[in-house]
Amino acid sequence: MLLEGRVALVTGASRGIGAAIARAFVAEGASVCLCARSEGVEVLAAELAGSGRTARAWRGDLADASFGKQLISAIRKEHGHLDVLVNNAGILRQGLIGMTSTDQMRELMEVNVVALMALTQYATRIMDARRSPCVVNLASIAGTQGMAGVAAYSASKAAVVGYTLASAKELAAKGIRVNAIAPGVIDTDMVRGAAGDWYERQLQSIRMGRIGTPEDVAGVAVFLASDLSRYVTGQVIGVDGGMTL
Amino acid sequence: MNAEKLRDSFSRALGIPAGQVTDDLAYNSLKEWDSVAHMALVVELETEFDVMLDTDDILGMSTVSKAREILSRLGVDFDAA
Repeated sequence: MLLEGRVALVTGASRGIGAAIARAFVAEGASVCLCARSEGVEVLAAELAGSGRTARAWRGDLADASFGKQLISAIRKEHGHLDVLVNNAGILRQGLIGMTSTDQMRELMEVNVVALMALTQYATRIMDARRSPCVVNLASIAGTQGMAGVAAYSASKAAVVGYTLASAKELAAKGIRVNAIAPGVIDTDMVRGAAGDWYERQLQSIRMGRIGTPEDVAGVAVFLASDLSRYVTGQVIGVDGGMTL
Repeated sequence: MNAEKLRDSFSRALGIPAGQVTDDLAYNSLKEWDSVAHMALVVELETEFDVMLDTDDILGMSTVSKAREILSRLGVDFDAA
């Protein structure tokens, strides 16, 4: 198994891409620590623990820095270290440029960027270079290409790309790899909740002719978390069915 | 005992003799205590004393005595023999 003996933290793990990554990690032998705001994360952890693997859930809001600190502290107490951090938690807010409030802009930046950076600060301090540690950030095609109708969200995900590249450079010397995944249109509640005909319009631009699944993204996360990618850092891998071609 | 642990942690993280670790030893006062070593020191202290430092504490940990003050606030007892 690709992740046997690895300890991984997946944020935003109650559903969608985060839940798929958690399931894929457990299937590959990892012990998983899951966090999310909703109770779904506890249900998922119970389901995964039933398969005989270690799966723990923490409920809380990562926008509250003290929660991130408590989470990492608890993982250190339980496992002694962390091998893989998957920064998946995030929110989407639609709105034309002229119709996005500053409160919405701040909320996007606080959740998608600041919380991610703060958690990375704590998490990388309990990573051990000898265990081939890594960080996988969930960016978005909106962050690499820009997407009309979600400009503020695009900006927040572009920030995730920048942070990924900078932290890959800074942390390489400590043996920590940092990569990002930029999903295209993936079949999740977050995307399905998009207003109007946005979902249908996006589908027309996907060369492979189908919406992606959370499992499509999870497969790449497994690759980036495993030693198959041991010489890969500072990369942003698109999982978009050819949308960017 | 914790005072010794603190001194030894500084010594290991900065790669300097324990005798050089004095209360007024300050960040950036010697080439061994630069920003990279500072982060190594944070990890060393967190591991040794089983605490988690806030970013404000990391930025404010400018001397050995300041480190002791921060750790004391986090429940580390420096008075016990």
